Amino acid sequence: MTTLFRTSSLAAALIAGTMALTPAAFAQDKVITHAQGETTISGVPAKVLVQDWATLDNLAALGVPVAGVPSSNAPGYLADAIPADVLPLGSLFEPDFEGIAASEADVYFVSGRSAAAYETGKDILPTIDLSVNNTAIIDGLKENLTKLGEIFDKQDKAAELIANVDAKVADAKAAAEGKGTALVLVTNAGKLGVYGPDSRVSWVYNEVGMPSALDSVKDGDHGGDAVTFEFLLEVNPDWVFVVDRDAGTTENTGAAQALLDNELFNQTTAAKEGQIVYLDAQAAYITMNGYQAVTLLLDQVIAGLQK
Amino acid sequence: MPALIAGMIITIALAIVSLFVGVSDVSLASLLSGGWEGRPGEVLLISRIPRTVALVLAGASMAISGLVMQMIVRNRFVEPGTTGTSESAALGFLVVTIFAPGWPLMAKMAVAALFALGGTALFLRVLRAVPLRDVLLVPLVGIMLGGIVGAIGAFIAYRTSLMGSMLAWNMGDFSGVLRGRYELMWFGLAGCILAYIAADRFTVAGMGKDFTTNLGLNHRSVMILGLVIVSVVSAVVLVSVGSIPFLGLIVPNVVSMLIGDNMRRTVPWVAVGGAGMVLACDIVGRLIRYPYEIPISVVMGVVGSMLFLYLLLRTPRGAK
Repeated sequence: MTTLFRTSSLAAALIAGTMALTPAAFAQDKVITHAQGETTISGVPAKVLVQDWATLDNLAALGVPVAGVPSSNAPGYLADAIPADVLPLGSLFEPDFEGIAASEADVYFVSGRSAAAYETGKDILPTIDLSVNNTAIIDGLKENLTKLGEIFDKQDKAAELIANVDAKVADAKAAAEGKGTALVLVTNAGKLGVYGPDSRVSWVYNEVGMPSALDSVKDGDHGGDAVTFEFLLEVNPDWVFVVDRDAGTTENTGAAQALLDNELFNQTTAAKEGQIVYLDAQAAYITMNGYQAVTLLLDQVIAGLQK
Repeated sequence: MPALIAGMIITIALAIVSLFVGVSDVSLASLLSGGWEGRPGEVLLISRIPRTVALVLAGASMAISGLVMQMIVRNRFVEPGTTGTSESAALGFLVVTIFAPGWPLMAKMAVAALFALGGTALFLRVLRAVPLRDVLLVPLVGIMLGGIVGAIGAFIAYRTSLMGSMLAWNMGDFSGVLRGRYELMWFGLAGCILAYIAADRFTVAGMGKDFTTNLGLNHRSVMILGLVIVSVVSAVVLVSVGSIPFLGLIVPNVVSMLIGDNMRRTVPWVAVGGAGMVLACDIVGRLIRYPYEIPISVVMGVVGSMLFLYLLLRTPRGAK
């Protein structure tokens, strides 16, 4: 506490000093270029709102506290990063702009599902869109960490996190070497879809480097493309990574296991060899590109592949 | 009669086509060379036959429940999807999923059927309060009621983060059907048989309460029998594959245009027509984006809405 107090008073003294010397330079304006344009941030934002779980995930990893988060679908692994008195900002798709306007926050982050909130948000307070391209989730994550490091003056921490991500990806790559083909499946209310190399779990193919069991899989952006168990039997992937959407959005678990335990799927190489990895559904489906989500998922992939 | 036999032959032909459409190589030649033990035989037994049977059962029973609904409500434009029945069944399924996720499917289905029963009864109760029995007003009331029930379901699903599951239930899709995962649908067959046995009673009930009572029939018990058939069929189909729009509306109407309203005569037609239509739509959905699938409710929505518009807009015979 004392250290914190000292640091902040030191900072205050510094700022006061700068102010006295060159009032014009005080603003320390940073122009942040992002997915939907440029936004100017004055100084280091103190009160931070995020309308996106991946950004909260990144900020938590960087050690930046937040004042407002979405009010639904909080991923379980992020529970500790959400303060008890946090301001609920509405759902990912429908932000509560009145609350946001009244909050007098310094910066507002949107991304992905909430990217549409940028248009309204930018008129209320400095708004930054950190959307990430699904086909390059790891690069997008690293870019966002760099950007956030810059905004919050945590460049060193950001560089450290980026190095961790790179190391994890390298580990996963090494683990995946020569392990055969993979297919990422999404299960939802008893139905089955496949995710391709352009989807939200593209990193399994593009970054970890597991060749897709089927090269023609098209981008299954949302629920994946609907397929039958016969399809799985014919494609016969060596490894299957499962995103259990039911478990991602609710407390229900085990639905995916029950769905996949059938006479046809059990004949695939993946099932026979026990090469099925159930990914953390909240990290994979809800967060997708946060630091902790990605490292958690990569850890699961590495653990699964090394089993 | 020869026409019915022709219709049956077409439906059987569609069923045979359905057996041979899919990702795995299943053909007569591969079956003969591989036998039941080979992969083609296994796929046929585990996946293709169950799917085809499920399609036939769902098609026939949904079409018949539409017919029964139209008889007891005495309106051509109702079906489980326009009377709040499907939405109520989905609400029931949602409620039981929240409070007793571990229950066996059979018990969940029973809850869904009870909700469907309640929803349909509510619809009939509301109808009694509608003074003007306009042909289009009745389905409108039903659609509004369905909207209200659906909104309640959506609210609960939203609060419990089950929206995605709710959407999936509302989207009929046969891609997950396998041996051991469709057998509940045989209840639909029971519903069809019951409807056939009681066909004459429904025909009489379709003429109104006073008329029915004059003929010495208990109007109320006929109504309840109809409600039970419709609710059970809707719940079974919803729980097994999701809802299939328009089917219960289109098929009985087309049959009625062709051969009239005597239910004893129309039941076999409606059953065969419903099965044929579902088979055709599912085969189309399997082929358009092969090897992926388009859910049957999408295909049926496109085909069904066009046919529905035609039914609404067509000039009544003799009106020219």
